[in-house]
Amino acid sequence: MSAGNHSEVDPRSIWIVIAAFNEAAVIEPIVSDIVRGNYSVVLVDDGSQDKTGQIALAAGATVVTHPVNLGQGAALQTGIKFALQQGAHTIVTFDADGQHRPSDIARLVDALKHSNADYVLGSRFLGSSRGMPLRRRLLLHAAIWFTRAVTGLRLSDTHNGLRAMSREGAQRISLRQNRMAHATELLQQIAASELPYIEVPVTIEYTRYSLAKGQGLADSVAILFDLSVQKLHR
Amino acid sequence: MIAQIGFSILLTSVMAYAWTEYRRAPVIAILSMLVATAGLYFVWLPAHATTLAALVGIGRGVDLIIYIWVIISLMLLLNLHLKLRSQAELITILMREAAVANARRGKPSK
Repeated sequence: MSAGNHSEVDPRSIWIVIAAFNEAAVIEPIVSDIVRGNYSVVLVDDGSQDKTGQIALAAGATVVTHPVNLGQGAALQTGIKFALQQGAHTIVTFDADGQHRPSDIARLVDALKHSNADYVLGSRFLGSSRGMPLRRRLLLHAAIWFTRAVTGLRLSDTHNGLRAMSREGAQRISLRQNRMAHATELLQQIAASELPYIEVPVTIEYTRYSLAKGQGLADSVAILFDLSVQKLHR
Repeated sequence: MIAQIGFSILLTSVMAYAWTEYRRAPVIAILSMLVATAGLYFVWLPAHATTLAALVGIGRGVDLIIYIWVIISLMLLLNLHLKLRSQAELITILMREAAVANARRGKPSK
């Protein structure tokens, strides 16, 4: 890679990509915290019907708006495309629902900088998770097993939206799954790129708000269906 | 005889349609063509359908043909779903281009 080559990286060339849909209630402190770290922030407002975009704009983010809701996968790909166009050296994806800690961004960026990896994936099971319900834990373990089976990546976590990638790594990502299956698709593309990856511990804090927005069993079935169907067409 | 000709026209149309879809969804196209070919075969040789049906435990040859027709219908449905997905991907690309071109830059209050 690439990541090991950079000695001093301008924080403004580190782009934080946030996909957001109707997150007006929580988005302001998240964007403000990240902007205070001197990172560049692109918030992809995925067709929100509330003031998510306006609030993020006022908090200092660059806002890219989908006219209608396309899904988190589509929004992340839009954010990655925009960040690459701006000359991003490093791209970090970050959830909009308040589950992630902005302080973990530095940990991911440092890991990218001091390793030869092109992808740094946050792991709540190497780090910690607060308030995770048992049902969610079981679902995640099933998803980890499934991810290992379909990608061959030996990961301790999956469907964790906190990840960092080098410019070269980001250029290899091209998400076609608009909705939740993008998380597995992204790992498939990491495996296909054959670029090095590592995991680092991160903290996930579950709140009533984030749990209400999270995935359930029905979403897992939809993910399986979407991934299977994608193999049937070009 | 009239029914046989009618079914043959229908199944040949399915095969032709599957062929046109080959470049976009090769798996579905090949399966549809195979199933339609089997249907065509049994329409003209129903006795073989009865023999095969008895062999796989279905009972009557006509039931086997109905099952094949159901499979063809499901495949056409799946193909329709794939077509909608392709359309959705194109719409996504279009919206992404428009969204990126109209990015708004915020200025944080000090």
